[in-house]
Amino acid sequence: MMCERIREQIPEVLAGRLDAASREKLIDHLETCSACRAEVAELGVVWRGLETMAEPEPSPAMRARFLETLHAYQEGFQEAQRKLTYQAPKPAWWAGFLPARPVWQAAFAAALILAGGLGGRYLLTPHPTEQAANPEISQLRSQVENLRQLVALSLLQEQSPASRLRGVGYSYQMSQPDQQVQQALLHTVNHDTNVNVRLSAVDALAKFAENPEVRRALVDSLPVQDSPLVQIALIDLLVQLKERAATPALLKLSQDKDTNDAVRQRAVAAIEKLGGSQ
Amino acid sequence: MQEVRAGDVGKLEILFDRHNRALFRYFMHLTSNRAASEDLVQEVFFRILKYRHTYQPETTFRAWMYQVGRNVYLDQAGRRKGEVALPEEAAALSSGELPADRQVQNKQEAVLLRRALAAMPPEKREVLVMSRFQDLKYEEIASVMKCEVGTVKVRVYRALRELGDRFFALGGERA
Repeated sequence: MMCERIREQIPEVLAGRLDAASREKLIDHLETCSACRAEVAELGVVWRGLETMAEPEPSPAMRARFLETLHAYQEGFQEAQRKLTYQAPKPAWWAGFLPARPVWQAAFAAALILAGGLGGRYLLTPHPTEQAANPEISQLRSQVENLRQLVALSLLQEQSPASRLRGVGYSYQMSQPDQQVQQALLHTVNHDTNVNVRLSAVDALAKFAENPEVRRALVDSLPVQDSPLVQIALIDLLVQLKERAATPALLKLSQDKDTNDAVRQRAVAAIEKLGGSQ
Repeated sequence: MQEVRAGDVGKLEILFDRHNRALFRYFMHLTSNRAASEDLVQEVFFRILKYRHTYQPETTFRAWMYQVGRNVYLDQAGRRKGEVALPEEAAALSSGELPADRQVQNKQEAVLLRRALAAMPPEKREVLVMSRFQDLKYEEIASVMKCEVGTVKVRVYRALRELGDRFFALGGERA
């Protein structure tokens, strides 16, 4: 029952529309329920995937057609109103309430102007809840981001390779993954038993390439890898990052007689691209 | 909208400029047909003009516009019995062709999602589109669909769950 209630809130939390109290409850629940965590992660992938779908634009002709219709309607409407104004104007029912003497008329007009001024001033004064809205929204966003990181981390520790893959995918799509996620991804590259998960983690780490620690860890990972596919992915990434510090490791790999032929060729090509073996 | 309702119909141009893209995309998600979606947008704004006196200021204009839009769509769908054409890009890519490049993979995922969305039952697709793409609040969706907010909540979750199942099945992750 609890899980059902929680899951119904997933679209709202993904959209960043869940109120603070419900969000707290949801996060508390996720900390103890791996099934709901997986559900949030999975639906998060779908929710964000929808964002990448191209949104089509209507043609300019649509607006032109609408304006034609509107103008034609307006002309007809104005024509009908003109006909109505030809009829003898009747005094309005409320005219009798207005003051007849010019002095009172002037006083009435002044009172109206004063009321208008005060009303305008009141309306232009910013409302306190509006001022509070922006920090509230940014706080909400950061909490959702934290939630995503929590889910990515927990998925990376799952038993099933499919879940771990999803965890990598999840971290890949986060706007600003933190250090903990970086470390988890590096650990995945070096120690995950599944080649596909490791490959995915290499891809995801490209996002953190500005961090020298990550670059160093990627270079250190080269001799540790036993899968030629992962080695090639790492070599390609290091070339893409123009990481010249990788040259000694690449040289060693290219000279090792146990290295796979395809990897050796890739390593030799990479050394050339990185500017030779100095 | 209140000025339009009071007779200043020229102001509808402002409302059209503000909402036509979102409305057009809403219909694109429902019909996958550009020409039909543009016609539906025309029809919605024409009805807004014609029935402006029925607008109630306690409803947001957006919610009222989607109420009209929904009625227009259901009228048309009734005539064409609601079949949804697959988007061109979805039809062009078979699931057997799996390119390795990440960018292409993302694009293919978007295509699979579009296919999964197009294959969903219209009422589920509609509620999801309103929530995800039109960014309507649950209260507004409830007003458009004339149901309780709690019902909308459950429907959006179930629709997203079904979309996920269809998407992962198309991607080969589930049987």
